[in-house]
Amino acid sequence: MSLKGKRGLGAIFQDQVVNTRQYLEHVKDSTTGTQGRVVKIFTNHFRVISRPELITYKYNIDYMPEIEDGKVRTDLLCQHKQTIGECHIFDGNSLLLPHRLQKQKTELVSRWGTKIVKVTIEFCSELKPTSVDCLRYYNILFRKILKMMDLKQVGRNYYNENEAMEFLNHKLVIWPGYITSILEYETSITLCADVNHKLLRMQTAYDLIMHVDSKSQRKDIKDITKELVGSIVFTKYNNRTYRVDAINWEETPRSTFKKSGGEEITFVDYYKEQHGLVVTDLTQPLLVSKGKWKKSQQDTPHEPIMLVPELCYLTGLTDEMRKDYRVMRDLAMHTRLDPEKRQHELQRFMNIVQRHKTAQRELQLWDLKFDSDFLSFSGRIMKEVRILQGSRAPILYNRLRKLCVIQNTDVSFLLSFKVLCVLSSDRKDLYDGIKKYLCVNCPIPSQCVVARTLDKPQTLMTIATKIAQQMNCKMGGALWKVETGLRNAMFIGIDCFHDIVNRRKSIAGFVSSVNQELTQWFSQCVFQEAGQELVNGLRACLEAALKLWYKHNLFLPQSIIVYRDGVGDGQLQALIEHEVPQIRSSLKSVYGDEVRLTVVVVKKRINTRFFAEYHGRLQNPLPGTVIDVGVTKRQWYDFFIVSQSVKDGTVTPTHYNVIHDTVHFTPDGIQCLTYRLCHMYYNLSGVIRVPAPCHYAHKLAYLVGQSIHQEPHYSLASRLFYL
Amino acid sequence: FIKFQQSTVARKNVIEFRPPLYKQRYFFVKDIVNQYKPKKVADLGCGNATLLCMLKFHSCVQELVGVDLLMDRLLDWNSDRLSPSVGDHLGPRDLDLSIVLYRGSAVEKDSRLLGFDLITCIELIEHLDSEDLAKFPEVVFGYFSPGMVVISTPNSDFNPLFPASTFRNSDHKFEWNQKQFQHWASNVAKLYNYTVEFTGVGAPPPWAKHVGYCTQIGIFKKKQPEPGSWIVAKPTGSSDSQPEEHTYQVVFTASFPSLQQKHFLLFVLCTEVLKEVEAIRQKYVWILKRKESNEPESEEDIDRSLVRRPGLFLTDAQVAQIEKSPKPYSVGKRFYVPLKRLIGYPKVNRLVGDVSTLRTLLAEGIPTRLNRAHTSVLIDLDPYDYPRDYY
Repeated sequence: MSLKGKRGLGAIFQDQVVNTRQYLEHVKDSTTGTQGRVVKIFTNHFRVISRPELITYKYNIDYMPEIEDGKVRTDLLCQHKQTIGECHIFDGNSLLLPHRLQKQKTELVSRWGTKIVKVTIEFCSELKPTSVDCLRYYNILFRKILKMMDLKQVGRNYYNENEAMEFLNHKLVIWPGYITSILEYETSITLCADVNHKLLRMQTAYDLIMHVDSKSQRKDIKDITKELVGSIVFTKYNNRTYRVDAINWEETPRSTFKKSGGEEITFVDYYKEQHGLVVTDLTQPLLVSKGKWKKSQQDTPHEPIMLVPELCYLTGLTDEMRKDYRVMRDLAMHTRLDPEKRQHELQRFMNIVQRHKTAQRELQLWDLKFDSDFLSFSGRIMKEVRILQGSRAPILYNRLRKLCVIQNTDVSFLLSFKVLCVLSSDRKDLYDGIKKYLCVNCPIPSQCVVARTLDKPQTLMTIATKIAQQMNCKMGGALWKVETGLRNAMFIGIDCFHDIVNRRKSIAGFVSSVNQELTQWFSQCVFQEAGQELVNGLRACLEAALKLWYKHNLFLPQSIIVYRDGVGDGQLQALIEHEVPQIRSSLKSVYGDEVRLTVVVVKKRINTRFFAEYHGRLQNPLPGTVIDVGVTKRQWYDFFIVSQSVKDGTVTPTHYNVIHDTVHFTPDGIQCLTYRLCHMYYNLSGVIRVPAPCHYAHKLAYLVGQSIHQEPHYSLASRLFYL
Repeated sequence: FIKFQQSTVARKNVIEFRPPLYKQRYFFVKDIVNQYKPKKVADLGCGNATLLCMLKFHSCVQELVGVDLLMDRLLDWNSDRLSPSVGDHLGPRDLDLSIVLYRGSAVEKDSRLLGFDLITCIELIEHLDSEDLAKFPEVVFGYFSPGMVVISTPNSDFNPLFPASTFRNSDHKFEWNQKQFQHWASNVAKLYNYTVEFTGVGAPPPWAKHVGYCTQIGIFKKKQPEPGSWIVAKPTGSSDSQPEEHTYQVVFTASFPSLQQKHFLLFVLCTEVLKEVEAIRQKYVWILKRKESNEPESEEDIDRSLVRRPGLFLTDAQVAQIEKSPKPYSVGKRFYVPLKRLIGYPKVNRLVGDVSTLRTLLAEGIPTRLNRAHTSVLIDLDPYDYPRDYY
């Protein structure tokens, strides 16, 4: 297989070149709002204050015979420094040079061991300093610089071994590190830097296999498989991570495999010979990894990789650890940085970059310079949203209290038309079973409570209130209302759940509003092939949603506003090419004409953070802060909102990108509407990170994907049964 | 660093070695290291440091040095292969290891290469011109004077088996036949008081046995007063009144985590102890449950089953020792394993030899997990029994 397919323009950069604003006439001049109180905002971006102003030259590099290993490719090319010069950036496939080579096509000969490899450098194109491709090379260069600064690459990011934090009590190590990206924004090119932590466990897959083993005294293959499959392991000898896809119980480290040279060798001998590692248990099974899972490679078969459990360290937190408050408390203390600490860390990082001699030399070759302070601009705090309290939920406290008296049995209680299950433990299979039964076979909204949560008399009141609240919204009762300021509009939230562990079908949750007050929602879901992000069954969902709206209101909505979550990097183009047209054509078939439609892409996983200065200290911006300058894009109609407030740590803003808008929202209009929708989530009496329909869709997709794996019964669709 | 002529690409070798010859040379050195367990190893003309990368996995090696005239290329892209990785932190080596790369020439003296156990010169000498070749023995054998030297070079007797009759590499200044190499090597050995034996890699095809190995190798061992102990543990730098002489330029250094460093010992020890204690607890709880269900079992059987578990490989003597030691016990919701018992488990014993060291280290690493008297490690009997704030 050629490398070319694998290493195209990175996913992030694919989205950069999508220009959606050109079609949005009404925001041609400005995507900036004016309402609200102006506040000075800082962000974790450092402006690029100097960069190459001249044209650079891109060359394609080919190897004869073909070489797969990126390091070898680099090594072979770098044997010709006299030709290409000190100043170059190589991405494994193509080369960026600040000058033109003498010949259009240069053929060179490199040595790899005793082999001789022909390296062809062929001119590809001239790059303007502003081109996205050029930025991609700067990112590669910066990664090289992080490496020079002695940071260690684990997965995609770079970490500092010298500042490793060890949690001896929990057998955990945390390496602090950085996520960086250089991208172009409205007014400048910036380096976005954020602190990141890598969690490593001092536990091997073998420990885990044996652990479960001794619990039940017999090999329970099912349990081990459940715990191990899907987890990411880290092999100490080659610094790589693998995903465990299966456990092969038939084979042992004494099994053989074929080396690249063709000879057969046992795993034991191989690790001894290659890495000086001794495998002690010769009867352990082997782990199977099918390699990286990429959408484009779904059909191409590749040789699975076999791993010896003893040599595989486990990564990430287990569910057990997550439940252990001591682990979580200790981790939070070190990884949840408040704005002040985060700024301090990032400033320190920038200082190290600025002072590092070799790093600076490399940057100077390209005339790249970064500002040493956080980028700052002004944001606005939107007006507080008025919440209209509805009639209180039927009071269930007393009933719940009575329940607690007899809670030592895990029987189901029938409460008028609802099911309340008090579970003796929070075992997932039990929960899954109950939910599956009550969502598919016997559709009744149900509530599960772990018995232990009702144990403590001092918190019983709060918990009972919360449970009552949750039960109430599952039954469709409105808890409060928010005025959206938009008449006759239907709101839709879409999110996806991918079951990466079992590679089952992906589930898209589709939640639409039913009434004007946005107190009732209609929930549907679509199953699609694994890894597929785009919703294909949109048409049916949309038609059903419109039908129900019509039934309730006796007319069709005049405008439709879609909040689309769960869009991965690099999928923006596909969204515009397939999903939006599909929505439009479905609407057309119902209305017989174009109807006003707005589609907003919602992104929660971003590295941009915002800080506001209060009393001389950097703090999280107040809820309702909107940012639509500085780190927004020229080619998009986008903005950030900080809608939620966090107790500790730094708040993560949500990014909104309006990709289609025939409602013609003004920036103030869409920002305000979005913020209001963040108040409409009934499971929490506060403001959430995303508009409520998005979060409902997320909850639905999650419950279906995690627990019931089937389409819930249609009779539940008009209830928020999945909260 | 060597530019080939176009013509060499098209040329096809009829004879192909599997694994490739360069790998066979490296494996040869690895075998030497396995056999003689040198502590300090230097590779002159280390090229892209492939050999060093392979040798860093050997537990006996504690100092690894590479010297080459051209180092920039290596540093740009390969330095992380020589640096400790995340895995080296999680599973530290037993012994320290430092890696240093120098930019320098094999015919220049540098006192930092004194006192080595093994110096390898793989496919190096044929790149030296006659002037440098003349200096080479004095520097390597006379000055560096390591316990052992391994020199490999092409054997020109083998060349007729290749289609082209030129040198194997355009930068080669010469290619010796077996006789020439052995003559040179024997003279050098004699002059500097070494023994030498000849071998090689890349065996000739059966119909041309006489040509010898494709790569010829000379193994030089320094003659010692007492036979058999060829390795000199000479302290670096302080050697026989040699003045400090630094002509090489340090271009890379790395130091690996190891159990000799207290920080890492503590880390690994605490982890192993907690893993062991948790495993014992599981066994303990299981036995408690069995007792409750009233299955008749002798006390002795219970003791034995408390010690043994899958994945724990113990000799009978080790089992006996553990059985003799104070037993784990539980009080209320806490479970205790006496340090005297823990020390019997091989994974703990490998790290610390006695209870008092174990106590001192645990008191430093996981003080909250020790009982007040510092005689036992304690954990919760039921790890899932703790207050929860969420539902």
